[in-house]
Amino acid sequence: MMGNIIAVHSYKGGTGKTLLSVNLASTYAKRGRNICLFDLDFRAPSLHAAFKAEGNGYWLNDYLNGTCDIKKVLIELNPRIKGSGRLFVGLANPATEAIREMSAKDRKWEMRALGRLLSLKTSLFNDIHLDHIIFDTSPGLQYSSINAIVSADVAVVVSSLDASDIKGTQRMTHELYDLFEKKTGIILNKVLAGIMSTPSKKKALLEKLRVIHNLPIIDIIPCFCEVLEAGGTYVFTVERPEHPFTAILNEVATKVENLTSSSFQQVHATA
Amino acid sequence: MTAFKKSQKSATQILERIRESVDKLNEKIDIVIEIQRHGQRNSEAIPDVLDVMTLLSLPDHLRKTAVTLCKIGQATADEVSGQTKRARAVESGYLNQLVLMGYVKKERRGRKAYFYVEKEE
Repeated sequence: MMGNIIAVHSYKGGTGKTLLSVNLASTYAKRGRNICLFDLDFRAPSLHAAFKAEGNGYWLNDYLNGTCDIKKVLIELNPRIKGSGRLFVGLANPATEAIREMSAKDRKWEMRALGRLLSLKTSLFNDIHLDHIIFDTSPGLQYSSINAIVSADVAVVVSSLDASDIKGTQRMTHELYDLFEKKTGIILNKVLAGIMSTPSKKKALLEKLRVIHNLPIIDIIPCFCEVLEAGGTYVFTVERPEHPFTAILNEVATKVENLTSSSFQQVHATA
Repeated sequence: MTAFKKSQKSATQILERIRESVDKLNEKIDIVIEIQRHGQRNSEAIPDVLDVMTLLSLPDHLRKTAVTLCKIGQATADEVSGQTKRARAVESGYLNQLVLMGYVKKERRGRKAYFYVEKEE
Protein backbone atom coordinates (compact mmCIF):
# COMPACT_ATOMS: atom_id res chain seq x y z
CA MET A 1 0.00 0.00 0.00
CA MET A 2 1.30 3.45 -0.91
CA GLY A 3 2.02 5.82 1.99
CA ASN A 4 0.51 9.18 2.69
CA ILE A 5 1.63 12.77 2.67
CA ILE A 6 0.60 14.70 5.79
CA ALA A 7 0.86 18.50 5.67
CA VAL A 8 1.06 20.29 9.01
CA HIS A 9 -0.21 23.81 8.46
CA SER A 10 -1.67 26.78 10.35
CA TYR A 11 -3.31 30.10 9.62
CA LYS A 12 -1.06 32.07 11.95
CA GLY A 13 2.59 31.64 12.88
CA GLY A 14 3.83 30.41 16.26
CA THR A 15 1.10 27.81 16.77
CA GLY A 16 3.60 24.95 17.20
CA LYS A 17 3.65 23.38 13.72
CA THR A 18 7.35 22.52 13.82
CA LEU A 19 7.18 21.15 17.37
CA LEU A 20 4.25 18.92 16.40
CA SER A 21 5.79 17.89 13.04
CA VAL A 22 9.09 16.89 14.65
CA ASN A 23 7.44 14.97 17.49
CA LEU A 24 4.85 13.35 15.22
CA ALA A 25 7.62 12.15 12.87
CA SER A 26 9.64 10.82 15.82
CA THR A 27 6.57 9.10 17.32
CA TYR A 28 5.93 7.30 14.04
CA ALA A 29 9.62 6.30 13.73
CA LYS A 30 9.52 4.91 17.28
CA ARG A 31 6.55 2.79 16.20
CA GLY A 32 8.58 1.35 13.37
CA ARG A 33 7.24 3.51 10.54
CA ASN A 34 9.54 4.84 7.84
CA ILE A 35 9.12 8.59 7.80
CA CYS A 36 10.42 11.55 5.85
CA LEU A 37 9.97 15.03 7.31
CA PHE A 38 10.38 18.03 4.99
CA ASP A 39 10.89 21.65 5.98
CA LEU A 40 8.70 23.59 3.56
CA ASP A 41 8.96 26.85 5.49
CA PHE A 42 11.51 28.48 3.19
CA ARG A 43 11.04 31.91 4.78
CA ALA A 44 11.85 30.71 8.28
CA PRO A 45 13.59 27.30 8.06
CA SER A 46 13.74 25.56 11.42
CA LEU A 47 14.16 21.78 11.12
CA HIS A 48 17.96 22.07 10.99
CA ALA A 49 17.82 23.62 14.47
CA ALA A 50 15.22 21.18 15.80
CA PHE A 51 17.39 18.18 14.89
CA LYS A 52 20.73 19.98 15.25
CA ALA A 53 21.41 18.73 11.74
CA GLU A 54 24.00 20.29 9.51
CA GLY A 55 23.11 20.42 5.85
CA ASN A 56 24.71 17.80 3.64
CA GLY A 57 25.33 20.32 0.86
CA TYR A 58 21.93 19.70 -0.73
CA TRP A 59 18.75 21.42 0.37
CA LEU A 60 15.09 21.05 -0.46
CA ASN A 61 15.53 24.38 -2.27
CA ASP A 62 17.87 22.60 -4.73
CA TYR A 63 15.35 19.84 -5.40
CA LEU A 64 12.58 22.36 -6.09
CA ASN A 65 14.96 24.33 -8.31
CA GLY A 66 15.42 21.12 -10.31
CA THR A 67 19.19 20.99 -9.69
CA CYS A 68 19.36 17.75 -7.71
CA ASP A 69 17.58 14.48 -7.04
CA ILE A 70 15.43 14.31 -3.88
CA LYS A 71 17.47 11.43 -2.46
CA LYS A 72 20.56 13.67 -2.24
CA VAL A 73 18.61 16.04 0.03
CA LEU A 74 17.60 13.39 2.56
CA ILE A 75 19.50 13.03 5.84
CA GLU A 76 18.86 9.91 7.91
CA LEU A 77 18.53 10.47 11.68
CA ASN A 78 17.77 7.00 13.04
CA PRO A 79 20.28 6.64 15.89
CA ARG A 80 18.87 9.75 17.60
CA ILE A 81 15.28 8.56 17.50
CA LYS A 82 15.74 5.18 19.20
CA GLY A 83 13.02 3.53 17.14
CA SER A 84 12.79 0.66 14.75
CA GLY A 85 11.63 2.82 11.84
CA ARG A 86 13.74 5.01 9.61
CA LEU A 87 13.54 8.80 9.92
CA PHE A 88 14.76 11.06 7.13
CA VAL A 89 14.67 14.83 7.01
CA GLY A 90 14.84 17.18 4.05
CA LEU A 91 16.05 20.60 5.20
CA ALA A 92 15.31 24.06 3.84
CA ASN A 93 18.38 26.25 3.39
CA PRO A 94 18.51 28.69 6.34
CA ALA A 95 21.02 31.09 4.68
CA THR A 96 19.64 34.62 4.29
CA GLU A 97 20.56 34.63 0.60
CA ALA A 98 18.57 31.40 0.05
CA ILE A 99 15.54 32.82 1.91
CA ARG A 100 15.70 35.98 -0.20
CA GLU A 101 15.97 33.94 -3.39
CA MET A 102 13.00 31.71 -2.47
CA SER A 103 10.85 34.79 -1.73
CA ALA A 104 11.45 36.13 -5.25
CA LYS A 105 10.29 33.10 -7.25
CA ASP A 106 7.79 33.68 -10.06
CA ARG A 107 4.55 31.84 -10.88
CA LYS A 108 6.18 29.53 -13.39
CA TRP A 109 8.70 28.40 -10.77
CA GLU A 110 5.88 27.81 -8.28
CA MET A 111 4.03 25.73 -10.90
CA ARG A 112 7.13 23.56 -11.39
CA ALA A 113 7.63 23.33 -7.62
CA LEU A 114 4.08 21.98 -7.32
CA GLY A 115 4.89 19.36 -9.97
CA ARG A 116 8.03 18.34 -8.08
CA LEU A 117 6.17 18.06 -4.77
CA LEU A 118 3.49 15.97 -6.43
CA SER A 119 6.09 13.64 -7.93
CA LEU A 120 7.63 12.97 -4.47
CA LYS A 121 4.92 10.44 -3.89
CA THR A 122 5.97 8.15 -6.72
CA SER A 123 9.72 8.64 -6.29
CA LEU A 124 10.01 8.28 -2.50
CA PHE A 125 7.25 5.86 -1.60
CA ASN A 126 8.41 3.37 -4.22
CA ASP A 127 12.16 3.66 -3.63
CA ILE A 128 12.50 4.01 0.15
CA HIS A 129 9.24 2.31 1.18
CA LEU A 130 8.11 5.19 3.33
CA ASP A 131 4.93 5.02 5.37
CA HIS A 132 4.44 8.76 5.65
CA ILE A 133 5.91 11.99 4.35
CA ILE A 134 5.30 14.94 6.69
CA PHE A 135 5.42 18.51 5.36
CA ASP A 136 6.18 21.19 7.96
CA THR A 137 4.76 24.18 6.10
CA SER A 138 4.88 27.96 6.40
CA PRO A 139 1.83 29.60 7.99
CA GLY A 140 -0.99 31.32 6.11
CA LEU A 141 -1.84 31.40 2.45
CA GLN A 142 1.30 31.64 0.40
CA TYR A 143 2.64 29.66 -2.52
CA SER A 144 4.81 27.19 -0.60
CA SER A 145 2.07 26.31 1.89
CA ILE A 146 -0.71 26.00 -0.72
CA ASN A 147 1.60 23.86 -2.89
CA ALA A 148 2.13 21.64 0.15
CA ILE A 149 -1.60 21.39 0.86
CA VAL A 150 -2.42 20.50 -2.77
CA SER A 151 0.29 17.80 -2.80
CA ALA A 152 -0.74 16.29 0.54
CA ASP A 153 -3.31 13.57 1.21
CA VAL A 154 -4.17 14.91 4.65
CA ALA A 155 -3.90 18.36 6.19
CA VAL A 156 -3.43 18.81 9.92
CA VAL A 157 -4.18 22.39 10.91
CA VAL A 158 -2.67 23.62 14.16
CA SER A 159 -4.58 26.45 15.78
CA SER A 160 -4.50 28.35 19.04
CA LEU A 161 -7.53 29.58 20.99
CA ASP A 162 -6.90 33.12 19.75
CA ALA A 163 -10.11 34.49 18.17
CA SER A 164 -8.38 35.72 15.00
CA ASP A 165 -6.66 32.34 14.60
CA ILE A 166 -9.94 30.44 14.96
CA LYS A 167 -11.69 32.75 12.48
CA GLY A 168 -8.80 32.62 10.01
CA THR A 169 -8.50 28.82 10.28
CA GLN A 170 -12.23 28.49 9.70
CA ARG A 171 -12.08 30.64 6.56
CA MET A 172 -8.90 28.97 5.29
CA THR A 173 -10.22 25.41 5.63
CA HIS A 174 -13.49 26.21 3.87
CA GLU A 175 -12.21 28.54 1.19
CA LEU A 176 -9.01 26.63 0.37
CA TYR A 177 -8.98 23.07 1.69
CA ASP A 178 -12.54 22.25 0.65
CA LEU A 179 -11.83 23.44 -2.92
CA PHE A 180 -9.13 20.77 -3.17
CA GLU A 181 -11.26 18.17 -1.32
CA LYS A 182 -8.56 17.78 1.31
CA LYS A 183 -9.04 15.47 4.29
CA THR A 184 -8.49 17.79 7.22
CA GLY A 185 -8.22 17.58 10.99
CA ILE A 186 -7.69 20.37 13.53
CA ILE A 187 -5.31 20.34 16.50
CA LEU A 188 -5.77 22.99 19.12
CA ASN A 189 -2.38 23.65 20.68
CA LYS A 190 -1.02 25.58 23.66
CA VAL A 191 -4.37 25.62 25.48
CA LEU A 192 -4.20 26.86 29.06
CA ALA A 193 -4.78 23.93 31.43
CA GLY A 194 -7.54 25.78 33.34
CA ILE A 195 -9.76 25.93 30.26
CA MET A 196 -10.05 22.13 30.23
CA SER A 197 -9.38 21.29 33.86
CA THR A 198 -12.20 18.72 33.95
CA PRO A 199 -13.25 16.10 31.35
CA SER A 200 -16.61 17.85 30.90
CA LYS A 201 -14.90 21.20 30.20
CA LYS A 202 -12.67 19.52 27.62
CA LYS A 203 -15.66 17.79 26.03
CA ALA A 204 -17.56 21.09 25.83
CA LEU A 205 -14.56 22.79 24.19
CA LEU A 206 -14.20 19.93 21.70
CA GLU A 207 -17.88 20.18 20.77
CA LYS A 208 -17.69 23.96 20.40
CA LEU A 209 -14.68 23.65 18.06
CA ARG A 210 -16.32 20.88 16.05
CA VAL A 211 -19.33 23.11 15.42
CA ILE A 212 -17.13 26.10 14.49
CA HIS A 213 -14.89 24.21 12.06
CA ASN A 214 -17.24 21.46 10.90
CA LEU A 215 -14.15 19.25 10.81
CA PRO A 216 -12.76 16.50 13.06
CA ILE A 217 -10.86 17.89 16.05
CA ILE A 218 -7.85 15.59 16.38
CA ASP A 219 -6.95 16.73 19.88
CA ILE A 220 -6.55 19.62 22.28
CA ILE A 221 -3.00 19.91 23.58
CA PRO A 222 -2.43 21.81 26.81
CA CYS A 223 0.40 24.30 27.18
CA PHE A 224 3.16 22.44 29.05
CA CYS A 225 5.84 24.51 30.80
CA GLU A 226 8.39 21.70 30.27
CA VAL A 227 7.84 21.76 26.50
CA LEU A 228 8.30 25.53 26.45
CA GLU A 229 11.40 25.22 28.65
CA ALA A 230 12.92 22.67 26.24
CA GLY A 231 12.62 25.40 23.62
CA GLY A 232 13.02 22.98 20.72
CA THR A 233 16.56 22.10 21.80
CA TYR A 234 15.77 18.37 21.75
CA VAL A 235 13.04 16.07 20.43
CA PHE A 236 10.72 16.11 23.41
CA THR A 237 8.88 12.82 22.88
CA VAL A 238 12.24 11.01 22.51
CA GLU A 239 13.92 12.48 25.57
CA ARG A 240 10.83 12.62 27.82
CA PRO A 241 8.86 9.40 27.15
CA GLU A 242 7.16 9.61 30.57
CA HIS A 243 5.74 13.13 30.02
CA PRO A 244 1.96 13.63 29.36
CA PHE A 245 2.86 15.55 26.15
CA THR A 246 4.42 12.33 24.79
CA ALA A 247 1.25 10.38 25.64
CA ILE A 248 -0.90 12.99 23.86
CA LEU A 249 1.36 12.92 20.79
CA ASN A 250 0.94 9.13 20.71
CA GLU A 251 -2.84 9.58 20.54
CA VAL A 252 -2.47 12.32 17.92
CA ALA A 253 -0.28 10.04 15.79
CA THR A 254 -2.94 7.30 15.85
CA LYS A 255 -5.76 9.72 15.03
CA VAL A 256 -3.82 11.26 12.13
CA GLU A 257 -3.21 7.77 10.70
CA ASN A 258 -6.93 7.04 11.01
CA LEU A 259 -7.61 10.25 9.10
CA THR A 260 -5.29 9.15 6.28
CA SER A 261 -7.21 5.91 5.85
CA SER A 262 -10.65 7.62 5.70
CA SER A 263 -12.21 9.11 2.59
CA PHE A 264 -12.92 12.85 2.22
CA GLN A 265 -16.65 12.15 2.60
CA GLN A 266 -16.10 10.02 5.73
CA VAL A 267 -13.99 12.76 7.32
CA HIS A 268 -16.74 15.32 6.77
CA ALA A 269 -19.48 12.94 7.88
CA THR A 270 -17.76 12.28 11.22
CA ALA A 271 -17.15 15.98 11.93
CA MET B 1 -15.44 -20.02 -37.03
CA THR B 2 -12.47 -18.11 -38.52
CA ALA B 3 -14.87 -16.00 -40.61
CA PHE B 4 -16.83 -15.21 -37.46
CA LYS B 5 -13.67 -14.09 -35.63
CA LYS B 6 -12.65 -11.92 -38.60
CA SER B 7 -16.04 -10.24 -38.73
CA GLN B 8 -15.90 -9.70 -34.96
CA LYS B 9 -12.46 -8.10 -35.29
CA SER B 10 -13.56 -5.80 -38.11
CA ALA B 11 -16.67 -4.81 -36.09
CA THR B 12 -14.39 -3.85 -33.18
CA GLN B 13 -12.22 -1.80 -35.53
CA ILE B 14 -15.26 -0.02 -36.94
CA LEU B 15 -16.52 0.77 -33.43
CA GLU B 16 -13.07 2.08 -32.48
CA ARG B 17 -13.05 4.37 -35.54
CA ILE B 18 -16.55 5.61 -34.69
CA ARG B 19 -15.36 6.36 -31.14
CA GLU B 20 -12.36 8.30 -32.45
CA SER B 21 -14.59 10.29 -34.81
CA VAL B 22 -17.01 11.09 -31.98
CA ASP B 23 -14.04 12.20 -29.84
CA LYS B 24 -12.79 14.52 -32.56
CA LEU B 25 -16.31 15.85 -33.06
CA ASN B 26 -16.64 16.49 -29.31
CA GLU B 27 -13.35 18.39 -29.28
CA LYS B 28 -14.50 20.56 -32.19
CA ILE B 29 -17.84 21.24 -30.47
CA ASP B 30 -15.95 22.24 -27.30
CA ILE B 31 -13.88 24.71 -29.32
CA VAL B 32 -17.03 26.19 -30.93
CA ILE B 33 -18.69 26.53 -27.51
CA GLU B 34 -15.58 28.15 -26.06
CA ILE B 35 -15.32 30.62 -28.97
CA GLN B 36 -19.00 31.52 -28.52
CA ARG B 37 -18.42 32.12 -24.82
CA HIS B 38 -15.16 34.02 -24.92
CA GLY B 39 -14.87 35.40 -28.47
CA GLN B 40 -12.26 34.43 -31.05
CA ARG B 41 -9.59 32.01 -30.01
CA ASN B 42 -6.23 33.71 -30.01
CA SER B 43 -3.72 31.04 -30.91
CA GLU B 44 -0.86 33.50 -30.49
CA ALA B 45 -1.76 34.21 -26.88
CA ILE B 46 0.95 33.48 -24.32
CA PRO B 47 -0.12 30.37 -22.42
CA ASP B 48 -1.07 31.10 -18.84
CA VAL B 49 0.58 29.38 -15.91
CA LEU B 50 -1.26 26.60 -14.08
CA ASP B 51 -0.02 27.39 -10.59
CA VAL B 52 -1.98 26.95 -7.34
CA MET B 53 -3.47 30.45 -7.55
CA THR B 54 -4.82 29.64 -11.02
CA LEU B 55 -6.13 26.31 -9.73
CA LEU B 56 -8.00 28.20 -7.01
CA SER B 57 -9.61 30.50 -9.58
CA LEU B 58 -10.90 27.68 -11.80
CA PRO B 59 -14.50 26.43 -11.51
CA ASP B 60 -14.79 23.24 -9.42
CA HIS B 61 -15.25 20.86 -12.36
CA LEU B 62 -12.15 22.14 -14.20
CA ARG B 63 -10.07 22.33 -10.99
CA LYS B 64 -10.58 18.63 -10.34
CA THR B 65 -9.41 17.77 -13.86
CA ALA B 66 -6.45 20.17 -13.68
CA VAL B 67 -5.24 18.90 -10.27
CA THR B 68 -5.52 15.31 -11.47
CA LEU B 69 -3.48 16.11 -14.58
CA CYS B 70 -0.85 17.87 -12.41
CA LYS B 71 -0.62 14.70 -10.30
CA ILE B 72 -0.37 12.29 -13.23
CA GLY B 73 1.96 14.52 -15.23
CA GLN B 74 0.95 13.48 -18.74
CA ALA B 75 -2.28 11.63 -19.47
CA THR B 76 -5.04 10.73 -21.87
CA ALA B 77 -8.65 11.64 -21.07
CA ASP B 78 -9.14 7.98 -20.24
CA GLU B 79 -6.38 8.03 -17.60
CA VAL B 80 -7.73 11.23 -16.04
CA SER B 81 -11.24 9.78 -15.92
CA GLY B 82 -9.81 6.70 -14.16
CA GLN B 83 -8.72 8.98 -11.30
CA THR B 84 -11.68 11.37 -11.14
CA LYS B 85 -14.30 8.61 -11.63
CA ARG B 86 -16.09 10.82 -14.16
CA ALA B 87 -16.94 9.74 -17.71
CA ARG B 88 -14.12 9.78 -20.26
CA ALA B 89 -16.09 12.02 -22.64
CA VAL B 90 -16.67 14.51 -19.79
CA GLU B 91 -12.94 14.61 -18.95
CA SER B 92 -12.10 14.96 -22.63
CA GLY B 93 -14.34 18.04 -22.76
CA TYR B 94 -12.81 19.56 -19.62
CA LEU B 95 -9.24 18.88 -20.77
CA ASN B 96 -9.94 20.53 -24.12
CA GLN B 97 -11.41 23.53 -22.30
CA LEU B 98 -8.16 23.79 -20.30
CA VAL B 99 -6.22 23.59 -23.59
CA LEU B 100 -8.30 26.45 -25.00
CA MET B 101 -7.71 28.49 -21.86
CA GLY B 102 -3.95 28.05 -22.42
CA TYR B 103 -3.26 26.13 -19.19
CA VAL B 104 -2.78 22.68 -20.70
CA LYS B 105 -1.05 21.45 -23.84
CA LYS B 106 -2.24 18.66 -26.09
CA GLU B 107 -0.28 16.35 -28.33
CA ARG B 108 -1.56 13.63 -30.65
CA ARG B 109 0.46 10.44 -30.81
CA GLY B 110 -1.09 8.00 -33.23
CA ARG B 111 -4.68 7.51 -32.22
CA LYS B 112 -4.29 8.90 -28.74
CA ALA B 113 -4.37 12.51 -27.52
CA TYR B 114 -2.05 13.26 -24.57
CA PHE B 115 -2.56 16.22 -22.27
CA TYR B 116 0.13 17.76 -20.06
CA VAL B 117 0.91 20.95 -18.15
CA GLU B 118 4.56 20.99 -19.02
CA LYS B 119 6.77 18.51 -20.87
CA GLU B 120 8.67 16.28 -18.48
CA GLU B 121 12.42 16.88 -18.56
